[in-house]
Amino acid sequence: MSLTLTGIPARRGGLALRAAGIVLILVAAPLAGICIGETRIPVGTVAQVLANRLWDAGYPVDPIDEGIIWAYRLTRALVAGACGAGLAICGVILQSLLRNALADPYLLGISAGASTGAVLVAVAGLGAAFLPMSAGALIGALLAFALVTMLARLAGGGAGARGAGQIVLAGIAGSQLFNALTSFIIARSANAEQARGIMFWLLGNLSGVRWDDVRLALPAALLAVAVGLWHVRALDAFTFGAESAASLGVPVRRVQAVLILAAAMATAVMVSIVGSIGFVGLVVPHAARFLVGVRHARLVPAAALIGMVFLIAADILSRVMVPGQVLPIGVVTALVGAPVFALILIRRRSAP
Amino acid sequence: MMLRATDLGWHTRGRAIVKGVTLQVARGEVLGLIGPNGSGKSTLLRLLSGLLKPSSGRVELAGHPLSRLSRRDIARILAFVAQQADTSDRITVRDAVELGRTPWLDALRPWSAEDDHHVATALATVEMQGFETRDWITLSGGERQRVHIARALAQCPQVLLLDEPTNHLDIHHQLAILRLIARLGLTTVVALHDLNQAMGCDRLAVMQGGRLIALGTPAAILTPDLLHRVFAVRATELTDPEDGSRVLRFHHVT
Amino acid sequence: MSLRFASLTLAAALCAASAAQAQTDYPLTIDNCGFPISFDGPPENVVAIGQAATEVLYALGVQDRMAGTSLWFNEVLPEFADADATVERLADNAPSFESVVNKRPGFVPTMFEWMVGAQGVVGTREQFADLGIPTYIMPPDCEGKDNLVGADGTRLAPFDIATLYKSIEEMAAIMDRAERGAEIVTDLKAREAAVVERAEALDLPDASAVVWFSSADMELDPYVAGRKGIPAWMLERLGLRNVIESDEEWPTVGWESIAKADPSVIVLARMDRRRFPADDYERKLEFLKSDPVTSHMSAVKQDRIVILDAEAMHASIRLIDGLETLAEGMAALKE
Repeated sequence: MSLTLTGIPARRGGLALRAAGIVLILVAAPLAGICIGETRIPVGTVAQVLANRLWDAGYPVDPIDEGIIWAYRLTRALVAGACGAGLAICGVILQSLLRNALADPYLLGISAGASTGAVLVAVAGLGAAFLPMSAGALIGALLAFALVTMLARLAGGGAGARGAGQIVLAGIAGSQLFNALTSFIIARSANAEQARGIMFWLLGNLSGVRWDDVRLALPAALLAVAVGLWHVRALDAFTFGAESAASLGVPVRRVQAVLILAAAMATAVMVSIVGSIGFVGLVVPHAARFLVGVRHARLVPAAALIGMVFLIAADILSRVMVPGQVLPIGVVTALVGAPVFALILIRRRSAP
Repeated sequence: MMLRATDLGWHTRGRAIVKGVTLQVARGEVLGLIGPNGSGKSTLLRLLSGLLKPSSGRVELAGHPLSRLSRRDIARILAFVAQQADTSDRITVRDAVELGRTPWLDALRPWSAEDDHHVATALATVEMQGFETRDWITLSGGERQRVHIARALAQCPQVLLLDEPTNHLDIHHQLAILRLIARLGLTTVVALHDLNQAMGCDRLAVMQGGRLIALGTPAAILTPDLLHRVFAVRATELTDPEDGSRVLRFHHVT
Repeated sequence: MSLRFASLTLAAALCAASAAQAQTDYPLTIDNCGFPISFDGPPENVVAIGQAATEVLYALGVQDRMAGTSLWFNEVLPEFADADATVERLADNAPSFESVVNKRPGFVPTMFEWMVGAQGVVGTREQFADLGIPTYIMPPDCEGKDNLVGADGTRLAPFDIATLYKSIEEMAAIMDRAERGAEIVTDLKAREAAVVERAEALDLPDASAVVWFSSADMELDPYVAGRKGIPAWMLERLGLRNVIESDEEWPTVGWESIAKADPSVIVLARMDRRRFPADDYERKLEFLKSDPVTSHMSAVKQDRIVILDAEAMHASIRLIDGLETLAEGMAALKE
């Protein structure tokens, strides 16, 4: 079905309709995130709080309710949406460039490096007082990415299928190294009590999100989406590999550098804010391809939207699945993501 | 001259793959590139298309040094059809051909009716109209090769480089592709495996051990002596009674 | 309530029995958390895993029969400083299996099943039993508690102070110090009764509370006391209702849920540990007063916040100290 749809791109026709649909999703998804939470707050109260904050409506609202909606739920929904969109775009970019269906932001060792940085700050007593855990994560992520790209380069990476293979291998090596470092740090200097706190954070957590995180996550996601949209044709050109892209006029090295750097930065920012949330970068691009096909002009916006909705929904689930308690969102994304991924794989195979 | 190579060389890991190649291709000319396996034909094509940077010498495309042109500028003049370019993506024939418009588009210059026209023309040229919505993975080898050529044609190139386009095709499709190339009227360099097919080219370049050892018309090049020296075969010449053209028959050298 | 009563009488009976015979009759066999252990005579070279277990031994005055201690959270109680100086500190955190076994211990008591147990960090009880070393888990951490569920274990039944008294009496019996053990327990029980009386006299109407231990990062969901753990027992003894409804020992609960429950008192843990920013109780206070939601909670607005030592929330001889501190804090709120 998707084949015939992508075969003849419906240009112009339904453009306004599609734009309206996109705007609807952009508004409805965070709104759902604001209305559903750990505790029950009537939709009317939610509307009053939003009216107060956006138009100074001046409804009398319980300040705790107002704080929960404006400072907790809205920021969470916005950061969840930004992370989902950003990670999904990173997945699209890496899968297209590396010509590898299994590529995702975690492949390049970025999340492993972020974890090491966070653990180093929190456990090894580099001093939580001087450096917040998220800053440690960002430094670790960039360091791991630099190391992995250097290793790939030394191993003869570059344009072409061989280069793509080398960066995958370098990413695996880097992930192993940084995961081992994390375990080493925990084993050496933490008692199990602290280790558990860290593991909870590593599984992904949106509970500590506030407005300053929104100011970081939103631009990072917008940047990733913008870079992706700017390069939709270049990404298409990689369909038949890097050499084919070069022969189609794509400055392969520069495009690869810009796209991968954007993906790494966005991932590092997301990991530093919410910890490592698996499966979004891997599953969402495949789901988007299943729905709108492989052409990036549709794939990039579709993946961003699906990623956004997926993570906001996962966040809502993580808050309501066990009453009175919040699950790590990484657990929810994996629980939902893994079966969905399996389903897509099977459906793709059996489709004509 | 559309394409000019001067003292072109390329080596990797201390081994010279192509050395000292000098040749020129005139506008509208079809130059056939022949030689045994590993003689450097594919590497020479990649050097001519700018996909590889030469270790020595230089290439000029339509009078401009290739090294000074951007990838996009090159792709607007020259299209390259690689020997094996496959994908596991679920793209359609039309998607694949549309890729040919890449060098003419960017974020500020979106797809237009003109691009639709070029894609339609390219598909018509390779006789693949009606295949637009077919999935790439359902195509036969010959159909894929024709789509690749259509993709190259959608680039609106003046120069077309093809690396063994008839490889792995059945005889019907081999002839169809060759007829198509001859009809296009573009400046063409085509690496070929089959020496009888090479006879249809305007001129032939013979590669051996990375060197260009002969360059001239098919009649002047495909002599029993050269065939013996380069391809290690004994050849006899026959005449096709249908159109009077020369046909080569090869025998094992005993 | 009737269950609690039953276990209290049981503990009283045991207490009476051991008090009757000042000297332990060896061989002594005890069922400890479903694992039988036996002693042919008073054990030598005792290695304690956990500050609580160590301090019970110091209180019993048996430091001369100890070969090592480990897993410390705070400074030793001042009255035990001299005793502690004579015992080797094998590790500040969990000791390795070999470092314990090397001491040829005749007895290895621990305060946590996750140290010695099915998923023991140091080893399993079978590993020690194979070498003929009897291990002992202080009953507060195994009776009515499943340590294989939840990060810090999950309570199947509310914490019962009788299990702590039982630990002291059993360890006293094992060490042939039954008389001293009975004295300690009698003293603790008297203090417990007194503090409960004082709290009742305060007559706080429908008071509720939350106990905030720490948070992995300042703004993350905090670790708070579950409804069946030791802090919950302390709250209940003093007539406070815990707003947290999880059975886990230290669940993470969102600030949204806590703020909506709006407890009348907030208890903050004070500790020497500095792993997370929120380990510092002043940072906790700062957060409560500045966060856009928690700053509107009634306990924060009316400054009904009590600071309590983390060590007093362990099942140790310090537990009644903690109960007294909490009661004092409540009394101060009253004024």
